[in-house]
Amino acid sequence: MAVISVRNLTKTYHVGEVAVHALRGVSLEIEKGEFVAVVGPSGSGKSTLMHILGCLDSPTSGEYFLDGADVSHLSDDELSEVRNHKIGFVFQGFNLLPRTSALENVELPLLYNAGSLSATERRRRAMEALAAVGLRDRAEHHPNQLSGGQQQRVAIARALMNRPSILLADEPTGNLDSRTSIEVLDIFQSLREERGITIVLITHEPSVAEYGSRIVAFKDGRIVSDTPNLRQRVARGELAEMPIAREDA
Amino acid sequence: MRVIASFQLAVQALRRHQLRAGLTMLGITIGVAAVITIVALGTGAQQTVSDQIQSAGTNLIQIRAGNYTRGGESVNIASGLGSATTLTEADAEAVGRIAGVKYVAAGVRLRGWVANGARRYYTQILGADVPYAAMYQWSFSRGKFFSREDVAGYAPVAVLGTSVRERLFAGVNPVGSEVEIHGQKFRVIGVTSTGDEDQSEMVFVPYTTLQRLLGINYLHLVTVSAKEAGQASGIVDQIVPLLRQRHHLTDSAAARARQPGLLGNQMPNSGTGGLVPDDFTVKTQAAEALTRGLYTSVAAFVLANMPKVDQINLQEMAGTLNRASATMTALLAAIAAISLIVGGIGIMNIMMVAVTERTREIGIRRAVGAKQRDVMLQFLVEAVTLSLCGGLAGIVLGFAASLVVARILEWPAEAPAWGIALGFGIAGFVGVLFGYYPARKASTLPPIDALRYE
Ligand SMILES: Nc1ncnc2c1ncn2[C@@H]1O[C@H](COP(=O)(O)OP(=O)(O)O)[C@@H](O)[C@H]1O
Ligand SMILES: [Mg+2]
Repeated sequence: MAVISVRNLTKTYHVGEVAVHALRGVSLEIEKGEFVAVVGPSGSGKSTLMHILGCLDSPTSGEYFLDGADVSHLSDDELSEVRNHKIGFVFQGFNLLPRTSALENVELPLLYNAGSLSATERRRRAMEALAAVGLRDRAEHHPNQLSGGQQQRVAIARALMNRPSILLADEPTGNLDSRTSIEVLDIFQSLREERGITIVLITHEPSVAEYGSRIVAFKDGRIVSDTPNLRQRVARGELAEMPIAREDA
Repeated sequence: MRVIASFQLAVQALRRHQLRAGLTMLGITIGVAAVITIVALGTGAQQTVSDQIQSAGTNLIQIRAGNYTRGGESVNIASGLGSATTLTEADAEAVGRIAGVKYVAAGVRLRGWVANGARRYYTQILGADVPYAAMYQWSFSRGKFFSREDVAGYAPVAVLGTSVRERLFAGVNPVGSEVEIHGQKFRVIGVTSTGDEDQSEMVFVPYTTLQRLLGINYLHLVTVSAKEAGQASGIVDQIVPLLRQRHHLTDSAAARARQPGLLGNQMPNSGTGGLVPDDFTVKTQAAEALTRGLYTSVAAFVLANMPKVDQINLQEMAGTLNRASATMTALLAAIAAISLIVGGIGIMNIMMVAVTERTREIGIRRAVGAKQRDVMLQFLVEAVTLSLCGGLAGIVLGFAASLVVARILEWPAEAPAWGIALGFGIAGFVGVLFGYYPARKASTLPPIDALRYE
């Protein structure tokens, strides 16, 4: 069964008199364990799609099944729960809480989890997640004390906190240099391989899309091609060949 | 998310903007301080009044011969000796038969010299009756009160108030000594230890003895005690018609014609019985206490706080009481109301700013699963925490202000412990009231708009 199944999604924004058709009928099925790269020029509607897939926004029309359940008609509270339990977000601008430690940022999803955990248990799990992205020793750092790559890894740790079914990443490498970008892509690839997490990566750079197992090309709010990526790039191997040591390994 | 977690977030957020938070609290602080001070003034006044009533005994009723009450003048004037000669021992006995009456004591008064040899003291001599000591719950540091036989036998015995004893017998046990009153020798048989300042200035002798000494057969006053404190006013209501009937004070034209003199110096209706005024005055001791020794300004509070002490006398008093206290309360109440409103608006304003500043944060929280009510709670708790901190400072300030008022202005002000709860209650209420709108605004932001907010 598909983790994500959308049919004829449309999204129309009204800016004054003008109607902007950000999505013009998108249908897509994503199976568990896929690493889907959605690629397309800026303004083609990729982020709009991601917000809808992430239950942050609702479509103007169309259907959306997440893990087989219709989420098009859920209440605000139910959508909040879906976001909390099933979805992890990674954004271009990291979206970490400022003046808040990496650890507390990672804990955040647990704070809104219905099955309230004790503070020590939250802390323990958050520490574990930070360690998994190699940031155990940066737990008390605030975002402004971390490099872009480190911030993005904190964001990834946070996204994985409640063991979501899908990880949605919108231009996660957009603010990073090329090496750090590959490090982040390496994390995604290993998450998929080791934990079987479904990943939807959005990017406007075809080179970044090549790390996905499947490439969905977007243009003007429509899918123009959807093909398995037969020549998937492997971040791990590329990193090994790079001469410089990892900045903070 | 629980309230505790929200509280921790609130404290964190407020600490990031300490100065801003401090300035915002100020209005609440001043408002709560003003409320505490009002309460302190009110409680202080009430305390003063109830202290007086307690020491006087709420169950006591005084019947005085004569009626000097005039409209518009101080009610204290009625404490002069009555001119009427109509109050008798038979009246006292009749009053004693009213249901609910415990003791009745006849009384005769004289202001005069009391002498122990060369030492003389001009004071109040009260011809009293045996139950008097029991009525006022006197204990005797030395000797005892006079007995029924002393009263029946016109015994020349005297009991001294503590002040009198100090003046006439400094340091010496006076029991057994003699004092001279109005040309007659009296043997001292006891010293009362009463807390009442007026009584400690007095000398007590059997009323029969004093009557004979003065050559009169009527009484100046009758003191009555009710079995229960609450009955005093009801007994007064029965004493008045009883005495009017016994004194033949009817409202007929004939009666009026017979007593033109009484009508002449009285305000119509100043008595309780209609056209022919009473030739006596009845007051509960509680009301009596209110009319003397009390800050007149404080007495205004009495109307608000203890309206049931004695309806009639409170109404008499109402016309003459100074309204200073009420004015002060009104002023403080205005300050309190304005500061609380301004403080509340300040909180609302700062919370609106916080919501705008932290729109991104709200978006992030929503994205990771915060529900509307989580966001709502977070900002509401922050507003309430802010106003409670202001309230706490206000409570401290209010208690301090009450002390200053009490010490420096010598105004009876006493902030009660429940003022703390009141202060927090008001602050919390203001926090919720003015924090609600910003919190609601924060919680209803669409997640995606909040997240993309620049
Ligand atoms: N909130 C919005 N209001 C109006 N128009 C919007 C809004 N968000 C996106 N759009 C428009 O929708 C189109 C798709 O935007 P977006 O999904 O962000 O594209 P992409 O992420 O592919 O760059 C663009 O033309 C953009 O201007
Ligand atoms: Mg985009």
